[in-house]
Formats: sequence, C-alpha cells, structure tokens
Amino acid sequence: MPKRKLDPLPSAAFQILLSLAEEDLHGYAIMRQVAEQTGGRMRLGPGTLYSSIQSLLEEKYIEELEPRDDAELGQERRRYYRLTAAGRKLARSEADRLAGFLRVARSRKILRGDYV
Amino acid sequence: MSEKIYALLLRLFPSRFRKEYGEESLQLFRDRARDERGFTPCLRLWFDLLADLAISVPREYFYAEPDLVAASGQRLGATPSFYFMGDESPRPGALLLGAVLSLTALVTFSTLLSQGAVRKPRNASARQLRQAAPPAHPARQVASDRNSLATGGEETLASAFDQADSGSTMQAAPNESSTAVAAPVGHGNVDAAERQRVLNAAVANLKQHYVYPDTGQKIVEALLAKEKRGEYDAITDGDAFAHQLTSQMRDVSHDRHLELVYSQDTLPPQPIETEQTAEELARHREAMKRINCAFEKVEIVPPNIGYLKLNFFSDRSVCEQTASAAMVSLNHADALIVDLRDNRGGMPNMVRLMASYFFDHPEYLYNPRENTTEQSWTHSPVPGNNLADKPVYVLTSSRTFSGAEQFCYNLKMLKRATLVGETTGGAAHSGVWYRIDDHFGMGIPETKPINPYATPDWAGTGVEPDVRVNASDALETAVKLAQAKLQKK
Repeated sequence: MPKRKLDPLPSAAFQILLSLAEEDLHGYAIMRQVAEQTGGRMRLGPGTLYSSIQSLLEEKYIEELEPRDDAELGQERRRYYRLTAAGRKLARSEADRLAGFLRVARSRKILRGDYV
Repeated sequence: MSEKIYALLLRLFPSRFRKEYGEESLQLFRDRARDERGFTPCLRLWFDLLADLAISVPREYFYAEPDLVAASGQRLGATPSFYFMGDESPRPGALLLGAVLSLTALVTFSTLLSQGAVRKPRNASARQLRQAAPPAHPARQVASDRNSLATGGEETLASAFDQADSGSTMQAAPNESSTAVAAPVGHGNVDAAERQRVLNAAVANLKQHYVYPDTGQKIVEALLAKEKRGEYDAITDGDAFAHQLTSQMRDVSHDRHLELVYSQDTLPPQPIETEQTAEELARHREAMKRINCAFEKVEIVPPNIGYLKLNFFSDRSVCEQTASAAMVSLNHADALIVDLRDNRGGMPNMVRLMASYFFDHPEYLYNPRENTTEQSWTHSPVPGNNLADKPVYVLTSSRTFSGAEQFCYNLKMLKRATLVGETTGGAAHSGVWYRIDDHFGMGIPETKPINPYATPDWAGTGVEPDVRVNASDALETAVKLAQAKLQKK
C-alpha cells in the first residue's frame, strides 16, 4: 500500500485529529465528534473516515488501541484510536497554518473580529 | 434490509479496504441507522453514504492501483506475467464501460433486427410474385395489367396487392410475341448498337400490337425517318432517348397511353401468364380480410356526414360484402366524403361497385384500359341505397393513383362529386407492357375504350380537383363544404 498523501492535510484528517485531542474514541464516536465540532457541516461517511484513519495510522499520527466495548452503544467490540505526539504536533501546525490565513483575511478586511 | 444493501455497496471498495475496515464500516452504518431515525435523518444518512461512496471508492482504487502497476512492472523485464485480479471488484469505470457497451449492443441488434424484418418479404409467395411483377418501378406503371389498376408501393398492402395484380394478369404479353433482346446497358449510357436495338424492337412491337394499325404504321415511318436523318445519333442518355421516342410516338398518334420507358435498374422479366391458384386466392382473401379490404375508416362525422377512407379498390369477388357493409353503415348520412388520398388504385370491378351507390340509374364509367362492354356500366340502382342523391366529396392527393383516378375522373365528369385536394398522380397504365431488354420497355394500348368526355383522361396529367387545397387540409375543407351545403337545404 503506497503512502497516503497527508500533505497538505485533508480537512477530514485534520478534524479527526482534533476530535481525538481530548479523549480516545472509536470510529462512530469520531464521526459524531467531528459532526459536533463542525456544527454538523462535516458528517464523515465510513469510506472517508476509515481511509483517513488508515492514512493517519500509517504515518503514526494516531495509534490503534485494544478493541473494547462502548458502554453506551452495547456489547460490541470497537477499535479505539488515540492521538500520538506526532499527531498532536501535526494538528497544531495545521491550526497555525489556518490561523495564518485568518490573519491575512483580517488584514485584507475580509474577516472582522479580534479573536484567534 | 438497508444494512444488507449497504453491505452490497461496500463490495465496491477494494478487497484490501473491505478486509481491513468492512466490519467497522458496517458497524458505523448500524450505529448511525440506530441513532438517526425518522424520514429526514434516514434520507440524510443515505445521502451521506452515497456521497461518501462516490468520493472514497475512486480514491481507494487510486491508491490501490499503483500497487498493482508496480507489481506487474517488476516482472515485465523477464517473462510475460499475468496478475490475478479475481479478488478485486471491478472498478466503477469498468462497470460503466460495460454498461454502455451492453446498451450499445442491445440497441444495435434490435435496430438491425427490426430493419431486417421490414425488408424481408412476408412469405415466399409474396417474394415470387414480386419478382414476377415489378414493384414500385417506373415501368410498373405500364407493366400492371389493364384489369387491375394498381400501382405498387404501399408496403403494408403490397403483398395483398401483388396478389391482386397477379390474379388477373393477363395483360402481360406472352414472351414469344414480344421482341425481347437481352442486352444490359451500364450507367444510363446508350451506344449506337443499343439505340438501334431499342428502335427496332419498338418498331416491331408497334407494327404487331398497336390497336390502330394505320396509326402504328405512321408512327413507325416517322421514327425510321428521324433515324435516317440521324436525330438519335447524339443521344447517349437512356432516359432522354426514351423520352424522345415517347414524345415522337405521341406526336403522330396523339395517344398519351403510348410510351417507351427507360429504367436504370434491370427490368424484371416479362410476366408470364398464369392462372391464380386456389391457394393464392385463399391467401389473398386472408390478406384482404386482415386489412378490412382496405376500408381504413368508416364513420359518421357531425352533423351527419358519412366519412369513408378507402386505400385500395380490392377485388369485388373477395370484398363485396365488406364494401356493402361499409356503405350500409353510411346509408343514412346526409352527405358523403370518400377519402382516396392514400388510394393507389385497384380493380375496376370494385371502382364500379363503389360508384354504383351514387347513382339511381346505370352510368357508363370510362376506363382507358377496357373496351366498352356492358361491364362498363355501374350496377345502379343499388337496392335499399339512400345515397344516390346525397352530396359526395372525394378527397384526392398526388398519391391518388390509377383505379382511384378512374373513380375521380368519372365522378367529376358526371358532375356527381366535388373533388377536394390535389391533382392526382396521373397513372392510367392503359398500355400492355412489352419488355425490350434489361433497361427498355414500352407500353402499347391494345384496346379501344370510348371516352365520352371532351376532357382527355388522366394519363400523365392526373385529375384536377374542383377545390384545390393541400391534401392534409382536404378533409377539413370537405367537411366545411358539406356543412355549408347541408345548412342551405
């Protein structure tokens, strides 16, 4: 399997990294978390979700944990994923890059406001 | 159920992806399906899934592809190798191409099949008959016999018509009496030898067959004189040669039924006189029954106008009952419209039968192909018939031919009908057909019909309508005329 291109980082992969920033999650939980943090705009389908996860795993930006049950979702073993240090670093640099765009946008009077 | 559908859709992914994440994908689907219930969420779920498939499947193959290429490339240097892909699902592109190819093949085959079916004669006897009698051919106009005023051409009726033609084919001259020479002419060019051959044959046929021997002799002398003066030497075009001979024969005889015809296509052999077998007759009856004897429409239009669309004058012995049933059903109409716009001709005995309903006493019907006999009169009055004094409108078009023109011409001359539409086709076909060679033939009248009218018949010119409108407007016009006439009453 050739290396998946994560440069530039696709937004789906970036959102997955963000979703894993606070806690370890399984696939469906990642999908819900991404939907929540994007205000429902990004609902990852299985194909996108798992191909992104695979790419991130290959580059060791996330790691896979021992399968276990999700108490909420019943007796089904699920694969959980955790953000690695490299993944956190990648997410931060991507966030910085986007923040750079925001500064440019603000300086060009395209975006108002003073946060970020 | 929906999970099964999604499981099937998952097969679109490369096997590697399915192995790794197939179960997880299904799990995700189950989770979402469980949490997102109701119509709208369910719809959104499927929209998401399909959109996801559309994006992810090509991408997964994009990543899978270089792997395969690399694998096969490694061995290329050595021996030819085959990479087994049985485990891989076909790519969406391949599926699409397959679908397009299948569709193309299906459309092509069905088109070819239907075209082939149209060209194929319906049965062997129809084919034989068609070979015996030239279909839709310039020469056909003279070739058809005097008893059946039919011009081939209507595919739907062709089989039945051919039968009708052959039923009484007796006008075709026996082979031995005509001066036939076998000599093909290429590409419409005639040379001196061919001209000489055609001229000699024409002269011989005129002497032998023309109904007026004195005139025939005069024509022959005129043609030979012109030949001596070298008038034909420069003509190399078969059509032009035929036209010139025709007009010169007519100059002398003033007989527009006399003609010489050139055909670029090889003319069929001279029809051989045969009696129609019982089997052929039965088949003809069956064919006529199927098309209701070519009575396409018989109905009353408001206020009380009888409308009759007849596309062929079929043989009376076969179709008399159908004809009289049609006329009986219109018996109480206040006016009658006879639509002959698609009528290609037929048998004089049916022309006579139909015309009989419009008179209360026998009327003479002129037919350029027949000697005047007692058969030339209508069978009027028809018992129980109420139509003898009702206004009659006949619809005509440029496709109205032959026997239908006889009907039009006589009713017009007798001032019994108003013709509405276009000038008719102008096919009198009164001559007997003599084949000269593969490309030339001539029609020579052998009868002395009496035309009681000062106006010449329709040969070559057609019958002029009384009210000239486009054929497509003829029905509407005739209905208006009939309505106006009925209101005045």
